[in-house]
Amino acid sequence: MPLPRTQVKPTLPLVPQKTLYARREQLLEYINKDGTYLPKSVLHADLDRGMLDFVKGDLKVVTAGKIVPMVDIIVTTQNWSQYVETAQFIDLDNNPSPPFITVVRSPEVKFGTNPSLQYTIPNRKQFYYASVPTWNGNEQGMDIYTIPQPVPVDINYSVKIICNRMRELNELNKITMQKFSSRQAYTFIKGQYVPIVLNNVSDESQMQIENRKYYIQNYDFTMLGYLIDETEFEVKPAIARVLQVFEINTSVLKKKKNQYPENPDTFLTNFLYVVGNDILIERIDFTADMSFVKSTNISSYDVYINNDYFGTNVQRIQITTNDVLKIEVVKDDNTKSGLIEFDSKLV
Amino acid sequence: MQKLVPITRLGKFFGGEDYALDIGMGEEWLLGDMNFTVILYRIDRYKTKKDDVYGEVLEDGIQFMAPVELKGLVQVMAPQNKLLGNSKIKQDEPGNMKFSVYQKTLDDMDVNIFMGDYLGYYETEDRVRYYTIIDDGLVKSDNKHTYGGYKPFYRTVTATYVSENEFRGI
Repeated sequence: MPLPRTQVKPTLPLVPQKTLYARREQLLEYINKDGTYLPKSVLHADLDRGMLDFVKGDLKVVTAGKIVPMVDIIVTTQNWSQYVETAQFIDLDNNPSPPFITVVRSPEVKFGTNPSLQYTIPNRKQFYYASVPTWNGNEQGMDIYTIPQPVPVDINYSVKIICNRMRELNELNKITMQKFSSRQAYTFIKGQYVPIVLNNVSDESQMQIENRKYYIQNYDFTMLGYLIDETEFEVKPAIARVLQVFEINTSVLKKKKNQYPENPDTFLTNFLYVVGNDILIERIDFTADMSFVKSTNISSYDVYINNDYFGTNVQRIQITTNDVLKIEVVKDDNTKSGLIEFDSKLV
Repeated sequence: MQKLVPITRLGKFFGGEDYALDIGMGEEWLLGDMNFTVILYRIDRYKTKKDDVYGEVLEDGIQFMAPVELKGLVQVMAPQNKLLGNSKIKQDEPGNMKFSVYQKTLDDMDVNIFMGDYLGYYETEDRVRYYTIIDDGLVKSDNKHTYGGYKPFYRTVTATYVSENEFRGI
């Protein structure tokens, strides 16, 4: 009992197809192939090549174990190119021998009907596409890549099969109808999926009795393409971060300089009067409020600032930088040294 | 047994002996002097396995009987430089061949020509072109094909160029 064809795989996929995130990465790899962060230009010639590849690959016809050859160029005004392309299947008159498939492009290319691109953005406005990190050895930064909206174009193609057997017509028709059962199919052009729509099927067969008979069947397709021109891409520098490197000579160790006063807010200031000395004069190098704390062997003291009398036994002295402070004391016992302590608070 | 009726028209000045004499002189010129030769490939319609729906055979699938050399008058029309349909593929379409042969020649060789048979014609020593017969000229009742209205004496076969994909001889 034969197995249903739909349940039998003709080939076993040895490499599993990627899905979800892995598939998106794969698409990104396609786009970034050859090391660019931008999509590649897709222009008319690329679209034509994509159509030829689509016909050659997706509409491949095999009859009696042989692949029906295809004229793998868009035949234009230069006739010699036709002979180059058909050299593999010509007859003794150098005419291409049926069966074969050829693709005819309508020379005119019209503004596209792809609804996602029609007249949506005016004036070729540039849009953010990617931020690309840069590094020149010193500066790390980002470049902002912008591109304009692609321009939609419609290109009409006629795929023609020239043959002299009905079975070859049937085979191409079967493949085409299966491929376009949802009206459209896609070709892959430089990382972009471009839709192709089947419009019509017509017949141009030569069946006059006095001439050679052969079939020509014509499949009209419209490629809903779009033009991406890399000359319109713009790259602008964005933020840059500068890395500065200092080289320090560590061979000589300098002694750390002591800061004075150590405590910048409050510190003690002592005035020591040795035996036989009753007057101390000092230039003060800070501005502070000096509060009397205690005295030893001192009965009274007079304070002068810049030789101006300030007071006797004052509890608080307001001193400013570069003032000359003079304190004259009277000791209880002149055979001993005396000491006055002030608590200075910087202001 | 086939019924035979004598032809008595033109009997006062033309008869069977005159007819045979003129045909003989014509053969002397056509077969002796001109000596144009084509090869007739008659399709073996029983051995050729064809498609049930379209009656087509694959390449090199046509079976034919032993080829026969025929001598007659060969006229090859001028080729046409044209495109294949609306495609941009240009080609020189070879012209048709008209092959005129005495009915007596066919009768002597016991050969008949039918539509669809193939003719091979050596244009040079190493180059043969094949044609398929589109008009076997079986109807030869017109004045042109009758000897002065006496009786039909030759057939004109029209054949058109056939690609090697369809037929390429032996």
